[in-house]
Amino acid sequence: MAGVGTKDAAAAAVAGQRVRLLRRPERPVHLSVTVVLVLFVLFALPQLMSGYYTGYATLVAIYSIVTLGLGLLVGRVGLYSLGQGAILQIGAWTGARLLFATSQPFPIVVIEAGLVTMAIGTVIGLPALRLRGLYLALITLMLAGAITVVLATVNFPNGGGGFTGYNGTSVHIPPIRRPSIAGSETAYFRYAVVVALLMFILVYLHLRTRPGRAWAAIRQSEPAALAAGINTTFYKLWAWALAAFITGIAGAVLASQSQYLYSINFTTQDSIILLAVALMGGVYNLWGAVIAALLMQLLPAWLQNLGVSYAWLTILFGVGVLQVLTTAPAGIADQFPKDMKRLGRLIWRLVRKPRAARAASGGTT
Amino acid sequence: MPSWSEFEPFIVSGLALGGVYALSGVGLVVLYRATGVLYLAFGAVGAMGAFLTYAMIQASLPDWLAWIVCILFGGVITLIYGMIFGPPLARRDPLVRAVATLGLTLILFGAMDLLWPPTGGEVRSISLPTDNGGFTVAGLQVDWTQLIGLCAGVVLTVGTAAFLRYTKLGTAMRAMANDREITATLGVPVRRVEAAAWFGCGILAGIAGLLLADLVQLDPTTLTFLVISSLAAALIARLRSIAVTFVAAIVIGVVHDLLTPITSLTNYRDMTPFVLAAIALLWVSRHRTVMTRSREEA
Repeated sequence: MAGVGTKDAAAAAVAGQRVRLLRRPERPVHLSVTVVLVLFVLFALPQLMSGYYTGYATLVAIYSIVTLGLGLLVGRVGLYSLGQGAILQIGAWTGARLLFATSQPFPIVVIEAGLVTMAIGTVIGLPALRLRGLYLALITLMLAGAITVVLATVNFPNGGGGFTGYNGTSVHIPPIRRPSIAGSETAYFRYAVVVALLMFILVYLHLRTRPGRAWAAIRQSEPAALAAGINTTFYKLWAWALAAFITGIAGAVLASQSQYLYSINFTTQDSIILLAVALMGGVYNLWGAVIAALLMQLLPAWLQNLGVSYAWLTILFGVGVLQVLTTAPAGIADQFPKDMKRLGRLIWRLVRKPRAARAASGGTT
Repeated sequence: MPSWSEFEPFIVSGLALGGVYALSGVGLVVLYRATGVLYLAFGAVGAMGAFLTYAMIQASLPDWLAWIVCILFGGVITLIYGMIFGPPLARRDPLVRAVATLGLTLILFGAMDLLWPPTGGEVRSISLPTDNGGFTVAGLQVDWTQLIGLCAGVVLTVGTAAFLRYTKLGTAMRAMANDREITATLGVPVRRVEAAAWFGCGILAGIAGLLLADLVQLDPTTLTFLVISSLAAALIARLRSIAVTFVAAIVIGVVHDLLTPITSLTNYRDMTPFVLAAIALLWVSRHRTVMTRSREEA
């Protein structure tokens, strides 16, 4: 009887903890700032932006999902993937193919693309996850190279028939369709932000519950996690599959955003730049994913407007990677608030010092 | 299926390509063993060197000077990187040190894009004087550059093996590959040995860049990512054995070129290194060797 009682109590405690972890926000200020920011982005920002920037802002929303997945793998589980660009290509290809082939509602297609990408990602991940560290990073780099080669030959669907859906001779190429409620650039921007938001919530829920704790344990020490009874292979594969799923979804949304896909626009280099910006943004923080996407998509648009070559940006990303790895492993998302705090303290000290000096001098005279 | 005679010229070009992959792979393995850094910027360094050569030849400077600059550029830039970023990252995971070299890759890549922006259609090329002339073996036309490619691979593989086996510096490098701390305790000037390894690897990157720019194409992306092929060879050798690296590189080069005449596969021939490396890695991981090794290193 007593044993049952303690078991009940334990179960109640666990349930209570779960409810607490899920329901009560840790930092209410933080949460309200996030909510305000999201509302601003959804409703005020589209009015303030020109058409030029709306398209790039949509790309930021889409790529923030990709960097979210990559940040999850690198920062939370410790798996370095150099093949996320390739996973994105698989998602975009699947999304485009399904959008041409079927007349299913858009969200269904997006989820299907995510699931297909997840399945392919898992099939690739299952053997790759047997390798670790450096070897996993290299095998994913090889994968990125291989998929780029395949897609350069197969091409992205452009409304043709057959399995590949590519019609090499067509003069009039139909665009990839968009959801009926989000045909215009602004509406599609909002649509992409909502999708990104849902993905962030999905990942956040993972991080706050059992998988998140398992991943944290694995990142600290795999043998220790194993000893604590965590099925490390299962949880690593779970992280891998989750990242592939959300990246696939981002791919489908990207397909419909650009409306015409060309394999020449996707390069192996993209996968490397993705890792670079994810590291620069910060992989231990969900905001890092947003910063990374801003770096990768909005910064080039802005520089292009100023007439600065994209090459400078590539150099900047290279310097950024070296800087992050040598001095600031948590990236901008961690460094920026710290620097601001330091700046604030400095200003405070500068303001206070003259006052103190004045008070002191006032005392003597 | 094409007839045998159609394959024959590709054996020669494949062997030449394999030779260059071999010397790159050997450079990568030696640097990895001596310093624990997998130098992913190898291809970008070679490409930058090749572009410098191109620019110097365009400016009608003597050819030999341009070649020396290409090779020295590789050595110097690699040495500088190793001296600046080697020490602060020395105690980090091998993975982090490899990812850091991607930073150098991006910097060089951006610099090439800036200095030599893509031309619409105009083809840049370097031609070495050894392209003209050559000889015939068993009815196969071989030009001198191809011979140099293969010979450079063979000579540098054998030379590096002998260097590691018989010289004092080579012995020091092998000792460092086993245990850096103990080597330092025994009075080996660890930093200086590392510097030698960085410089040597960079020189190989310069040579590889120059030869590949002639044998394949003078293009930043192509040359930068050709490193993946030599990387694949180094991986098949589990970043340990120079002999296995050599064999794997030759196989990758030959298989890649032999697929060219087969119409259904010709577009996929660039996948050869990925596929071979993936098979090798997965096969090796099944035998748990990679896993136990990387556990030691991590």
